[in-house]
Amino acid sequence: MANTDNHQIQHNEHFSLTDQPLDQKAAGDLAACQAQIRLLEQKNAALEQALQEAQEANQAKSRFLSSMSHDIRTPMNAIMGMVSIAISHIDEKARVQDCLGKIQTASSHLMSLVNDVLDMSRIDSGRISLREEMFSLADLVHDISVVVRPQATQRNHTLQIEIGTILQEHLIGDVLRLRQILVNIIGNAVKYTPDGGNIFVCLSQCAVPADFPMANADFLQGNAAPGPDTVLLEFQCSDNGIGMSEEFLKRIFEPFERVHNAATSKIEGTGLGMSIVKNLVDRMGGRIQVSSREGNGSRFDIAIPLAIAPQDTRNLHLPTGQTVLVAENQEPNAMQICAMLQSGGLQPLHMQSGLDIVTWLTEAQYEKHMPCALLLGQELTDMSVLELARHIRQLAGLDFPILLVSEADWAQIEFQASRAGVNAFVPCPLFQSRLLGTLADLTSQRRQDIDSSGEEDADYSGYHILLVEDNELNQEIALELLSVTGATVQIASDGAQAVELFASSPEDYFDLIFMDIQMPVMDGYEATRQIRAMSRQDARDVWIVAMTANAFVEDIRLSQEAGMNEHFSKPLDPGHLRDILHRQLRK
Amino acid sequence: MQPYQEEYLANLNEITLLTARKKADCQSFDAFMLELAQNGAKARRKTCRNNELLREMLFPMLDQLPQATEADLQDLQDFAGELMTWGKELDTGLFCQIHQALLNLARVSRNRNRMIRELYWLGIGRNSLYNKTTGLELPEAEKYTSQMRLCFAEAAAYLKYFDEIKDTDTRGYILRSRANMSLGSFKTASEKIRLVKQTLQILQDADYQQKEPDLPWNRFVYMTHQQMAASLSYSKERVMSPEDIADVMESVYIVYSKQFQEAAARGEQPPARYAFPYNAIEYYCGLITLDELLTRLEHLMDQADPTDFSTDGMYAMISLPAFYCQYLQEYPDLIPRRTGYIASLYDKILDYMDAFPQNEKSEHLFLYMRQLSVTFLETDDSLSYSTFLQTLLIRFAPETYIHSRIVAVAATAFCDMILEEDPSFFDDMEEVRYILDASEKRHLILQYAMESGTLHDVGKLNFMNLYTQSGRQWFKEEYEMAQLHTTVGNSHLSSRFSTHPYAAVAHGHHTWYDASRGYPESYKRLECPYRQMVDLIGLVDWLENVTNTAQLRTGIDKTFDDAIADAIALEGKRFSPLLTTRLKDRQVAERLRQAFEAGYQDACRHLYEDAL
Repeated sequence: MANTDNHQIQHNEHFSLTDQPLDQKAAGDLAACQAQIRLLEQKNAALEQALQEAQEANQAKSRFLSSMSHDIRTPMNAIMGMVSIAISHIDEKARVQDCLGKIQTASSHLMSLVNDVLDMSRIDSGRISLREEMFSLADLVHDISVVVRPQATQRNHTLQIEIGTILQEHLIGDVLRLRQILVNIIGNAVKYTPDGGNIFVCLSQCAVPADFPMANADFLQGNAAPGPDTVLLEFQCSDNGIGMSEEFLKRIFEPFERVHNAATSKIEGTGLGMSIVKNLVDRMGGRIQVSSREGNGSRFDIAIPLAIAPQDTRNLHLPTGQTVLVAENQEPNAMQICAMLQSGGLQPLHMQSGLDIVTWLTEAQYEKHMPCALLLGQELTDMSVLELARHIRQLAGLDFPILLVSEADWAQIEFQASRAGVNAFVPCPLFQSRLLGTLADLTSQRRQDIDSSGEEDADYSGYHILLVEDNELNQEIALELLSVTGATVQIASDGAQAVELFASSPEDYFDLIFMDIQMPVMDGYEATRQIRAMSRQDARDVWIVAMTANAFVEDIRLSQEAGMNEHFSKPLDPGHLRDILHRQLRK
Repeated sequence: MQPYQEEYLANLNEITLLTARKKADCQSFDAFMLELAQNGAKARRKTCRNNELLREMLFPMLDQLPQATEADLQDLQDFAGELMTWGKELDTGLFCQIHQALLNLARVSRNRNRMIRELYWLGIGRNSLYNKTTGLELPEAEKYTSQMRLCFAEAAAYLKYFDEIKDTDTRGYILRSRANMSLGSFKTASEKIRLVKQTLQILQDADYQQKEPDLPWNRFVYMTHQQMAASLSYSKERVMSPEDIADVMESVYIVYSKQFQEAAARGEQPPARYAFPYNAIEYYCGLITLDELLTRLEHLMDQADPTDFSTDGMYAMISLPAFYCQYLQEYPDLIPRRTGYIASLYDKILDYMDAFPQNEKSEHLFLYMRQLSVTFLETDDSLSYSTFLQTLLIRFAPETYIHSRIVAVAATAFCDMILEEDPSFFDDMEEVRYILDASEKRHLILQYAMESGTLHDVGKLNFMNLYTQSGRQWFKEEYEMAQLHTTVGNSHLSSRFSTHPYAAVAHGHHTWYDASRGYPESYKRLECPYRQMVDLIGLVDWLENVTNTAQLRTGIDKTFDDAIADAIALEGKRFSPLLTTRLKDRQVAERLRQAFEAGYQDACRHLYEDAL
């Protein structure tokens, strides 16, 4: 379009110049003529400049198309190649899986290319608008960590995410775009740092300085002046990667610019990321600075003013004044945890070795001054934190709160950690609100359990439990333990009775079944199989716990094969029973 | 003890004898095979009976432990005591189960003294489990050390209430737990030494001694010095501070001088067990060079009596060479001028092992041989690591050897059938990919299948009790521990030249084809250059395991036809479809069945030749 328009203008002007009658010109004012000529010369110069700009723009578009077609073709080639390999090995599941994995990676890359182009186009056309929504900084940092940490791990980088001073955790802004900015910067550090590198990220807040330039802010337009309702979010990301030349630094925020050398030839990207980041930061009224030296890593500093969201006025019910035992070998982590606990009115007691902790807790239990919780960190001097948790769970009982603070992805470690006795998880980087909130929830729940009955039992009235047990003494013990919970317990003395009771009950009547294995008439395996085979939805869903002292591998396998969900060793341990009720009934 | 407990113990002892290596005593091969089969069948019957005894008698009792009488509890403790006595482990898994149940009971009933006692015994049981992971630097091994140490630490914490606790036995358990906290390996020698020093301070505290004069304080102190002297096994002076060395040196001199005095009173030289640390500490102190220490070790080894089958004799004949080879592994530049000596050393040890009488000390002999296998030094002159491992399997784990050999023979036959159809099937192996001569290629592939099949389970040597002596089905923890044999096998095989190529098979033969299940997680099928062979050995191994109850204690026993059908049903999930599709051919399945029988014959033949 630009080219055509310019051509049209040029043509019109030329026509008007030659169209002037010569006799009128001679009679006219020479000065006016000269002025006309100057005007025309100026117009011509402007037109020439416009032409040059148009040609440059045209070249940029050509470069863009060339670059994009290459960048798009690369993953497309991979996708098509992998599809044909998968088709030719369709019977080899592992091979097909491998191909699908690669197709997934290439597709994600392709999608990010398209998204970048769309973003850039929106920015260019001024169609991008920022949203105003409340968000939690803790959630934002957690989301970023979940995305970038696996990438860093894959390249054997040490990625340290540190949280500095945080004035307000609940803010207002476009959280998706903020996430895009931060992921882009950290992602670049991961990409442009050779394997085994160090990447350091720090987030902190301060008051917005009076002289902070916020004129460009779309987002804070109605609130442009720094004040008590805004904070400055500062983000720093430094790496020891390949760095950038001085010359490149000048062009880093221009579209389609990428570092080019042997080390980066295999790194994928459009070169639009930094340009998008710069534009987004500008729109948010922020500031971005880069410093780098070739071969010596890079450092990005971003500062973005954000409005403070109305604060959550819910009071945390923390057991103030009580001791929390902190098990952590890494000194900075421990100091951070202890400071947060102290600001919540708690008394942290820090230890670094599993043996010291077990000794201290044994004494505390004996002298009846147990701490209100144990907070496990990343590592100990002498053992894994989960091994310690496993032992403490036995030593201190099932009601003792054990929290795990970890950089690991909870989804990856949940199974192991909960089996070891961990009650709750607080992700790193650590935020005070999360730590104290989780601790408050756990300890107040425990207090409620204790307060509600005088015993340490929760109220499960309204729930129905089927207890299948032939031994009268065991029936009596189990009934005794279950009756104080308020749940309605029905007893079947053998498997056949249990099947009959379940079949005759209304759908979803039973919430939990405790099933003995060795019983007369019909054993627990067969009873479970018959219940699971019933054509009603709750027959498939009801949680069935095998209750037996048979501990052979085969017994566990048989109970699983029969359709039981869990294996509960006798003798009945009240704590363990409470744990099952808590897990299965309190949903 | 109750009758069922006595019967269980008797069965265990009998199973140990039935499954141990036999001398052929001029028997014919057929008679040897028949006896082997009869013994196997008898051992299986005893195992079934033991399962019944536990299911019908012990488990119901544990079911109602809170209602058990004092006499019942005492019987249970006596029974557990027999399962694991000093120097003899009949059933460590059951020992731990019983003491865990007794500990739970003590916790629930808040019986402090019982809790201390049970923590001590559970710690002892876990120490024994930890010992099975000797020589491994694995996170899995650390788990067992931590579990053991936590039990001892909790019991030892009651030292603070020593005055309140009037019971002498309980006081003894507290002190012994305190001392045992330093058992096992540590990240650094200093950690261990710090703990031992603290224990020594407690044990030498006159105040404690006056409060409980009935305890054997001198023995406690002496044994703690022995533990300090055992810190030498770190043998890495780089991580020991001068202060640590001084502490260890003091303990070594105390232990040595006591032994020296006792030996002098008997008119003998002090045993090598004490002479070695005495010499070693001089090396760590810089008084002698490593070369000089090795020369002194050679002198001690040359003096060792090959007819002394006591623990001291085994130490001199096997442990000293193990330490000797460990030093040489750390300083390989000292090896070249000792290759001849190393070769003769291994020959001498194998002769000693051959001459060893079949008695209750056989298990000790195995533990010493296992120590030797961990530090095994392979040179051009000495026997290969592969031969050494096969000798250990034949001698100490005949059932595992039979299983491994069946897998090897059947895998070789299966490979041959596949190569008939598809000569490039195993071209993922770089060693054979570019060989053009079909017969040479076939020969190499079949040789690889035979060797890797024979060695695929060598990791089981670390957990031998689980396989050879477990007279019952496994518990869950034992099953988890048994799974470590893949990682251990990989670790052992990959570190020696002659066995390096077979490590992948040991590592990956229990993983699933689609990677959805199986173990260990560290094996990545798609990254393995031997994956077709690993798949194949994995399938044949599974077929053997589910059709032969003698080998594993999981309670699975299928017919060969059922096993083939089940394998096909697991196509693309557990097993490679490229292999299971061939099993659908009846002729292939039949040839494979015959190979299983031939493998059994082959294995028995090897055992027979060894037994002659």
